[in-house]
Amino acid sequence: MIIEICDSAAIPEGEIRRFEPEGFAPIAVARHEGRLYVFPDRCPHADESLAEGWLEDGRVVCGVHFAEFELDTGKVHNPPVGCPNLSFFRCEDRDGKVFATLTGGPEYV
Amino acid sequence: MCDTGCAGNAGRPNMAPVYPKAGRYPDYARLVDRNRAQVDRRVFVDEGVYQAELQQIFARSWLFLAHESQIPNPGDFIRTSMGEDDVIVVRQRDRTVRAFLNSCPHRGNRVCMVDAGSKARGFICNYHGWSFGIDGGLRGTDGKVYEKDETFEKAQIGLTPVAQVDSYKGLIFGTFDPNAPSLLEFFGPFTFYLDIMLDNDEGGTEFIGGAIKSEIDCNWKFPAENFVGDILHAFWTHQSGAQAILGGGVDLGKRYDELAFQASVYGHGIETNLDKVGNTRTLGYPELVDYVFDLSERARDRLGDLRSRAIGAISSCTIFPNFSFLPGQNTFRVWHPRGPGKIELVVWTLVNKNAPDHIKELYRKGVMMTFSPGGVFEMDDGENWEYSTRVNQGFVTRQQPLHYALGLQSADLDRDLPGHIHKGSLNDANQRLFYTRWAEFMEHDNWTDLQNGETAPPQKTASAAE
Repeated sequence: MIIEICDSAAIPEGEIRRFEPEGFAPIAVARHEGRLYVFPDRCPHADESLAEGWLEDGRVVCGVHFAEFELDTGKVHNPPVGCPNLSFFRCEDRDGKVFATLTGGPEYV
Repeated sequence: MCDTGCAGNAGRPNMAPVYPKAGRYPDYARLVDRNRAQVDRRVFVDEGVYQAELQQIFARSWLFLAHESQIPNPGDFIRTSMGEDDVIVVRQRDRTVRAFLNSCPHRGNRVCMVDAGSKARGFICNYHGWSFGIDGGLRGTDGKVYEKDETFEKAQIGLTPVAQVDSYKGLIFGTFDPNAPSLLEFFGPFTFYLDIMLDNDEGGTEFIGGAIKSEIDCNWKFPAENFVGDILHAFWTHQSGAQAILGGGVDLGKRYDELAFQASVYGHGIETNLDKVGNTRTLGYPELVDYVFDLSERARDRLGDLRSRAIGAISSCTIFPNFSFLPGQNTFRVWHPRGPGKIELVVWTLVNKNAPDHIKELYRKGVMMTFSPGGVFEMDDGENWEYSTRVNQGFVTRQQPLHYALGLQSADLDRDLPGHIHKGSLNDANQRLFYTRWAEFMEHDNWTDLQNGETAPPQKTASAAE
């Protein structure tokens, strides 16, 4: 099931925003070079918010232990021990709105 | 702890920063005898005196942290000391500068191990992975343990901020005392003299070439009092070094008697001649001498005749308690205390941003040749200060008086300059006022008394008495 998350304009280039859609765990929505990315707002390592981190050179940087996740692949760099890759939800930027498929959980790209 | 803690009823921790209160140490204050112009040698070796210095002086004074040019961008940081307290100084995302104790509030470990860096994302403790933002706030911990503990209040925890941070013309200072007066009040009218180095040209100043660190086995006050007003030693201590670089001895200039003076405000002091280039000449590069002659001419509009003649002159300065510099030679330094008998010395070279690159390069080389651990003048000084300190381990030796009485009748009441002015730079006057300030810090537990004592600028004392 695909659900509406927010207005597309709510996600400026280079920023990450946190949303709490009803019935789902909090998610993060980021925009890099125009493209949208939706992923759990929870780092795979220590459950910290990724929306409190930032984007840098096409990667999500976790603000707590500075693990970096590639936006295209989810591959982790500079990980604390045991930190897996990041997974993403399918999403669409359509008619000025952000939509994502949250059921079934994120998929490893 | 276990009375309630083991039963599971412990109160929640109070993690608010603690800024220690000052006390009163009149017995230590009396170690400086103003009537006899003597300083008791116990101030250089006594552990009790030293601990009182950390509390009364280093936990209250504005202390030098960094030059703005060392941390230009958000996340840029340097690690330094305030007294013996390890401190991180970091540029914030809003471009302000903040400073924090380099100690994790969990088990106290250092959270920053390196001397300096750029674009830091934060600081992670090596022990349990507690992670702090460049704003000092606790961002998170390792793993999924604390997050499941309902009583854990992350927002209450952070690195202890240095209570106040401010800057003056490129130099950043901090104090652990939330009640300390502003940096400008701490300097008082002494800024008049600081501007000789910090504001003699358009565009401001910068540090170049990194920092040189060394250790000297001496009490921190010997180098501080040396720079506050002891050009006297140069004619003996540095004569051979001067001979080697200049081909002759140190020369105070033809109009020494008429022009040279010492000035002191709140224990900060400068002694200077007005010979324009006497200090600069010792760096050994004629091009630098030409540069300073030109600079001196150009600076006349900004600084007036007297201060423009002091830019490169034979002179030295200490900001109380432990930050010193030499106009002309452009070496800036902090004498960090490491116990009563040891200092860690950190040295930088300051230049005008607008100076030509080859001039900056000559300053860098010249300072390293003269005032670095291998420099001809630094070597001379270190040995003297080590033995001036070490001999006082002798029980009988440390009972003996020390003489600080040169120039007792030399007060210059006619000269219209800020602060306490004494005639001639060959004089113990500034050193006496430095130790008087030291005694004021030992004596007083409040800033009202501290800012209105004998070392306060004379006109302020006069108006307070009215």
